[in-house]
Amino acid sequence: MNREGHVVIPIVLVSLASVFWTSCGSSSPKTVSTTAKMSATGGSGQTVKAGGKFEKPLSVTVTSNGSPLGGLAVTFTAPSSGASGTFVNGNATETDITDSNGVTTSSAFTANKTAGSYTVTAAAAAGASTPASFNLTNQAASTANYSFYVSGLEAICGAGNYAGNYYALAGSVTIDSSGNVVSGEQDYNDAFGCTSPEPSGDTITGGALTVDGTGQGTLTLVTNNSNLGVSGTETLGVQFVNTGHAMIIQFDASATSSGSMDMQTLPSTLSGGYAFTLSGVDSIYYPVARGGVFSISGDTFSNGVFDENDGGTVTTGTPFSGTLSTPDSFGRGTITGTGMANTIVYYIVGPEAIRIINVDPTTSAVGSAFGQGTSTFTNASLEPSVFSFQANNHGVLLGLLGMFTVPSLGTFQGVADYVEDGVISGSGFNISGNYSISNTVGGVPYNGYGNLTITSPRTPPNVVPMAPDVTTMGVYLADPNLNLNDPNNAAGGGGALVLELDPYLAGSMGVLTPQTDTATASFAGNYAFGAQDYYIGDPGSEFDFVGQGPVGSGNLSGVGLVNDPFCFFVEVTMGIYSDVPFSGTLTPDPLNVGRYTIPLNVTAGGSTVPFQVIVYQASGGQLFWIDEEPYGSAYPNDQIIMDQFSGSLQRQGWPAGLPAAIGSGGKTPATRKH
Amino acid sequence: MKQGVFLQANLAVAVLVAGLALAILPLALEGQTGSDSRVFYDVREEITLSGTVSAVLIRPAPGMIAGSHLLLTTVSGTVDASLGRWGLQGKGALSVMPGQAVEVIGIMKTLQGKVVLVVRTVKVGDKVHAIRNQYGIPVSPQARQRLAEKGESQ
Repeated sequence: MNREGHVVIPIVLVSLASVFWTSCGSSSPKTVSTTAKMSATGGSGQTVKAGGKFEKPLSVTVTSNGSPLGGLAVTFTAPSSGASGTFVNGNATETDITDSNGVTTSSAFTANKTAGSYTVTAAAAAGASTPASFNLTNQAASTANYSFYVSGLEAICGAGNYAGNYYALAGSVTIDSSGNVVSGEQDYNDAFGCTSPEPSGDTITGGALTVDGTGQGTLTLVTNNSNLGVSGTETLGVQFVNTGHAMIIQFDASATSSGSMDMQTLPSTLSGGYAFTLSGVDSIYYPVARGGVFSISGDTFSNGVFDENDGGTVTTGTPFSGTLSTPDSFGRGTITGTGMANTIVYYIVGPEAIRIINVDPTTSAVGSAFGQGTSTFTNASLEPSVFSFQANNHGVLLGLLGMFTVPSLGTFQGVADYVEDGVISGSGFNISGNYSISNTVGGVPYNGYGNLTITSPRTPPNVVPMAPDVTTMGVYLADPNLNLNDPNNAAGGGGALVLELDPYLAGSMGVLTPQTDTATASFAGNYAFGAQDYYIGDPGSEFDFVGQGPVGSGNLSGVGLVNDPFCFFVEVTMGIYSDVPFSGTLTPDPLNVGRYTIPLNVTAGGSTVPFQVIVYQASGGQLFWIDEEPYGSAYPNDQIIMDQFSGSLQRQGWPAGLPAAIGSGGKTPATRKH
Repeated sequence: MKQGVFLQANLAVAVLVAGLALAILPLALEGQTGSDSRVFYDVREEITLSGTVSAVLIRPAPGMIAGSHLLLTTVSGTVDASLGRWGLQGKGALSVMPGQAVEVIGIMKTLQGKVVLVVRTVKVGDKVHAIRNQYGIPVSPQARQRLAEKGESQ
């Protein structure tokens, strides 16, 4: 009920407690000696979502014997705990003076994040009155839970002297419909002293998701761990692909990284077969990656087998089992007893997708596990695909991207681009080989556990002979109904997680995405894009970006966010760049349909870098790209020797219903210097 | 014993150090990896080479592979020794000056059309610095620290 204008409370003001304007013009309140009435004449009866600002301020009218009483000090007071709110001064109280009409109006009043109804009172400063009352309600905001994970290089925790520590971060956050971060949990691990306390992890106590109309913006996470982020607050750059999925980067001075944020379905029951990979650093800080398959039944991991490339030591077919703890309300639980780490924390995205992070103090890794559904995989399960690998920033800096068909069961042939430590070892070179799915180890068959071997000559004419380093991959098939890049998206067709099993390329892993549509006409619309760029420089070697823009008539034109804490774009200047333009013209490869080249111009910090990029199209909705810079290219920062990036383009669905404050988030340039 | 074999053998290999106007001299090599190799770094092909540092290159000269390099003067000529991404970078990095004598272990490879010694370790005086591990993976400053804590040079 709207009580505005109906709350009229007679008050008696004793002479010394009442005030009025003096004849000399002083603004000091004065006392009156009369009978007066205080009425709540505006703002009562309002409802707003918790954390939101009430539409109208609170107004009081004071009369004395029917005449307006001006110059009276009136104090508005909201509850000190529970459901309440604050005025512009940040406090629950505020004092204002009535005007010549006997009216005073508070500043804007903002609800706190606690839902419930309550009363704000307005009383004469002299205190000898019955206060006027305003009945207000903080409505429980609808919330959504998102799981996020990233990995990259940190610039904190002593990393400045160490060329950047590897770090991994995974968590879950509850965001209300106004974009307020209500709560959350996370696990951070650089294996070098900056880790979340375990077994609890960090608590996320606040923050905000703010995006613009393209789904681009920032997510701030206020944590209880002051060692992380900037004094405990992490900022992520986000680019939503759709309501349920965003490409993300860490977007502050503490670190840079790339990953994904996905809406969670909670609670979800994990059950059945899963394929997984994860990558990070081992106890020596050598790059390490593992992949395999396992089954979950209740709290038990069983029928597991994994491959490992640990600093170049390759071990395949190691059986494992383990125990799964019950997830908490954020979908967070632990996995123990696997032999891959003492403790792996998992965050549920849904029943067939979890993010996994090694939280041991001296080793770190992060990755995903995807359900295998009801499929029984055979060699016929591997379809024509695009394969995309991501290097480990403490390993050899490779970029590997290609596509293949399956001319006969167990064999493949295709084309690939390969860059290794800045040297283009192959650009659109032919590959072929064989594969085997659902292999047997020690007499035990493992569903979806396979490998792939490149047997063709990998040294094309006139190309430097480093491509031979790529020969063997582990292949772990996932449910054909899943999209591995966007697990809430029903379109995608499954695919596989892949692991590099050549010693020199330890730490690299990727995805195999079914190639269903190579028509250039299908590569059109609005796309979210992102990539993780590794380079050789001093002191660090990574920057990351996300962005968004249309593709049409062969042109890509976008705007994005770039986090460059190690000074790629401008020498001796770290940059957190917004409104970064991306543009280029796509040229289809006439010999390899589904492959494109694009010189991608990116301007950040006043420097434009013309990245030479190769794109492979899995479908109109999913594409992958790598940067194929000719070795010896000049860079704005002449301390840079080489770079290469790997990432993806994902066609956007309009992020309607996004639980975020739509505004100018992510559009404020913020550049800092060392 | 590969050092002895290396020094005594008489296989001629031209080592070109582009951009530095250094001599192109024949080198005797043992176990050079051909382009058909499927392993980037094979310890079975390692050689041990003694020489004097003639130049320390934090950044590569044009034509060299990425990372830092040492130019070594040996009895067989000048050798381009690749130290990778972190050989001269970060805490605990190799510190060496022109004129110092060093002993390096690595394998000879032809990369980008040029012969380069891919270095695994550099010994200066009595101290052995790990540059890459036995698979050729570069040793980061963090890994150097961990190896030191474990009392290992690699």
